[in-house]
Amino acid sequence: MSNDTKSPLLSWLDERYQVSPLIEFLRHKEVPIGAHSMAWYFLGGATLFFFMVQIVTGVLLLMYYQPGEATSWESLRYIMTKVPFGWLVRSFHCWSAHLMIICLVAHMFSTMLLKAYRPPRELTWVTGYVLFAVALGFGFSGYLLPWNELSYFATVVGTDSVKSVPVVGNWLLEVMRGGPDVTINTLYRFFALHVIILPLACFALVGIHLLFIQRQGMAAPVGECHAPRGMKFFPSFAVRDLLLWLACLFLLVALSTVAPYGPNIPGMEWELGSKANPLAPAYPGIKPEWYFLWIYQLLKEFPPHLLGLEGPQLCLLLVSVLMGAWAAVPWMDRQARRNQPSPGFSDFGFAAILFISYLTLKAWDIGAVGNDVDAPASVASVARTCAWWELGLGGAIIAIRYTVYEHRWFLFSGAALLHAGLHGLAGIGYLAAGLVAMLPVVAGVVMIYRAQSRGEETAGA
Amino acid sequence: MGWLASVLYPVGRYLTPLPETGPTGPVNLTRGEIGKLEQDGFVIVPVVGKRVLVLEDSEGDIRALSARCTHEGCTVQYVADDSLIWCACHNAKFDLEGGVISGPPPKPLPRFYGERRDDGSVVINVVEQA
Ligand code: FES
Repeated sequence: MSNDTKSPLLSWLDERYQVSPLIEFLRHKEVPIGAHSMAWYFLGGATLFFFMVQIVTGVLLLMYYQPGEATSWESLRYIMTKVPFGWLVRSFHCWSAHLMIICLVAHMFSTMLLKAYRPPRELTWVTGYVLFAVALGFGFSGYLLPWNELSYFATVVGTDSVKSVPVVGNWLLEVMRGGPDVTINTLYRFFALHVIILPLACFALVGIHLLFIQRQGMAAPVGECHAPRGMKFFPSFAVRDLLLWLACLFLLVALSTVAPYGPNIPGMEWELGSKANPLAPAYPGIKPEWYFLWIYQLLKEFPPHLLGLEGPQLCLLLVSVLMGAWAAVPWMDRQARRNQPSPGFSDFGFAAILFISYLTLKAWDIGAVGNDVDAPASVASVARTCAWWELGLGGAIIAIRYTVYEHRWFLFSGAALLHAGLHGLAGIGYLAAGLVAMLPVVAGVVMIYRAQSRGEETAGA
Repeated sequence: MGWLASVLYPVGRYLTPLPETGPTGPVNLTRGEIGKLEQDGFVIVPVVGKRVLVLEDSEGDIRALSARCTHEGCTVQYVADDSLIWCACHNAKFDLEGGVISGPPPKPLPRFYGERRDDGSVVINVVEQA
């Protein structure tokens, strides 16, 4: 940019801070346009918008909220019943938290399915993954702050699984709770986590994540080192992003006013309810937030003891292995590393969606009969009904992938559907059905790996 | 390494909660707690940081057990009609000795000493029974 075309303000800034290179960078920055929809590129921005709403509404709530045995629940009731628009601020805070997680999940799966994690963007994936964990931490720590019955017992159950961590489990549990049990000390610790520690961590991680994206640009579609076309970041993409933020704001206003206490779906409701009483017995139907429901349900599927370990220990181990595998996808997906399509990993992503959705549907007790949802007849009915839902959902996804995207790799998602079918329709236990469904996957992967190795050998010869 | 340890050790110690204090020997239930026991057939009381379920069985004997479910830690309750202890979180059932009848808990509920004295007072001791 020549000096004479610059505005006086810009010249003034440039003289002092040398902002020209930055402006030049932004001026030339482009977003790749590939065969896939551009919509995926906006999910990260929407997540950032909801995060900013969290910060603003969180600060407003802090003006009245007082953590304490005799004040947490009371101050929140005061906010909701006495403070002008207090109910709206809290509703904004809760709705934007859920919408942020929804956008974050969609953003993560879109990154997975578009292989945007391939080199040189592995660390962008890792920072995004850690940000996702931090967001879940926000949800978990914030859940206890109202200090009501539901949040109390959900925290009791949620924190208890920490004791399954080998060697340091019990110590970790006590540090987390501030004692052997969930008490007001737990709330103090969660409060510090929710309003200081996690926001600081989040700011740092968002900064690094955005820096990586700005340095490397957004990923071009697989097979194209440089996208055939590009959209100017300024003003074209930025204006679209801004319009999306406006749409998000409208959505937030609409949801917060129409359903200020949530949509009344288990795991997505924030009625204040009764104050927590650690000496009252638990009641049926205590469930965590919707994004933890699959782990909650998985815990229920494990018997008390298995393979010499306690059920919750083994469950935690399985969840850790799955999460570890998810984090390591950029290194495991060797085809994507060579910028080639990797249909197996795309299918793995879809299978993960199906696996989580079946457990979540079951946790919602869809198809339960009678009042006792844990009665054997009701449990069988839930498994069956959810299996039909799952088969419908999975069938639709596969049909769309086959016809629209011409995918031909369905081994993992087929196994996820077989798992649901064997469990829900044939009545086989959840874990046993999972084992049976894994057999064709293992056989298929071994055969494909061998065929590939043979192909590479022939090519080498 | 030494520098890291010199930072982490005090932080770790600072975060580790101090052990609960309180009477380590037998404790008497308060009048309010006894009233609740008589009315509901059971009461949950805090003793040295533990939640203790005190119940009166069909024979009129006092029993004291940990009220913390061994599955995921929910607070259990006494169901007098079925003469069993129930955890509502995942529908677990325990017998009055604390043994698991059904459901996911991997261990029985720890048992404590509990007794009604001639003067009507109820005393419990959280030293675990064999
Ligand atoms: S916490 Fe009691 S059965 Fe799960």
